[in-house]
Amino acid sequence: MSTRLDEYLEAEIRNLLTEGRIAELGITVHRREHQLVLGGEVESPARRDEICRQITERYPDVAIACDIAIIRAQAPNEVEEIS
Amino acid sequence: MIRVAAVGDVHVDSDVLGRFRPALEELPHRADVLLVAGDLTRHGTVEEARCFATEFGGLGVPVVTVLGNHDHQSDQQSRIIDLLTASDITVLEGDATVLELHGKRLGIAGVKGFGGGFAGACASNFGEREMKDFVNTTEVIAERLQDALLSVEADALVALTHYAPVPDTLLGEPLEIYAFLGCYQLGRAIDAAPTTLALHGHAHHGSERGRTPGGVPVRNVAHPVIKQAYNVYQLLSEEVDLKLVAT
Repeated sequence: MSTRLDEYLEAEIRNLLTEGRIAELGITVHRREHQLVLGGEVESPARRDEICRQITERYPDVAIACDIAIIRAQAPNEVEEIS
Repeated sequence: MIRVAAVGDVHVDSDVLGRFRPALEELPHRADVLLVAGDLTRHGTVEEARCFATEFGGLGVPVVTVLGNHDHQSDQQSRIIDLLTASDITVLEGDATVLELHGKRLGIAGVKGFGGGFAGACASNFGEREMKDFVNTTEVIAERLQDALLSVEADALVALTHYAPVPDTLLGEPLEIYAFLGCYQLGRAIDAAPTTLALHGHAHHGSERGRTPGGVPVRNVAHPVIKQAYNVYQLLSEEVDLKLVAT
């Protein structure tokens, strides 16, 4: 039986990403037609890849589109005055 | 003039080593102190805390932090604090520190904080024991922040938390989870003292700027919000200099 793309699957994936090895609470999961779209930002390419790998491993019949970005870590070029 | 660099939610593990360091090496030219608003690690392990100390330690400016909810995940927070302290990183847990910078005293009071919600949509100390314990935790932590803020005599006073003290900086987060992202009691504690600036993290999808009901500027410095290694805030300005010069 194929995996149904419904709210329960969204909730399961959120729990997988939060409570498992990944520990990412900020990943968004949206259903779009016949695939799941993952969004949000993480600290390294390895984490983004691990998120997709774990979901694919748990739900091999679910198509995933990964829009997860890596957060930039450059030095700032402005300062804000607090008054 | 004092310049405060700040970031939160860096979630360091071995895969992050080296990502922040180039920007952090420039810190002595850009700021006088670095404040980190919790979630230093992913799972709150001692190994991850060691990675954080490697990445954020030995910078040439003082580093002051609070812990976040991720740093409690493995119930090793005491060992994490010991490790960070041994690495000359100050961890505030309902207490305060004062730094002498350019002849001025910068006070920093910090605590992790907790959830609970905000006016009109907050948890109450009523009903089941579990709910009363939840709200009591919120109130005790906020009281510790207030006591820490009031214990300091300084020219500028910064409140450092992980959880948010106002809802303004949560804009962008689902309304349904506001109560898990912060509480009004932290804002009330901040307003009870002559606080110059309040910094927090935790709300990755939130907004950068807000104010407490008492008018204290609040900044959400969660890394996914500021999208750079750290922000820099200038306090006690004699002259406004809005450009940083990297050397």
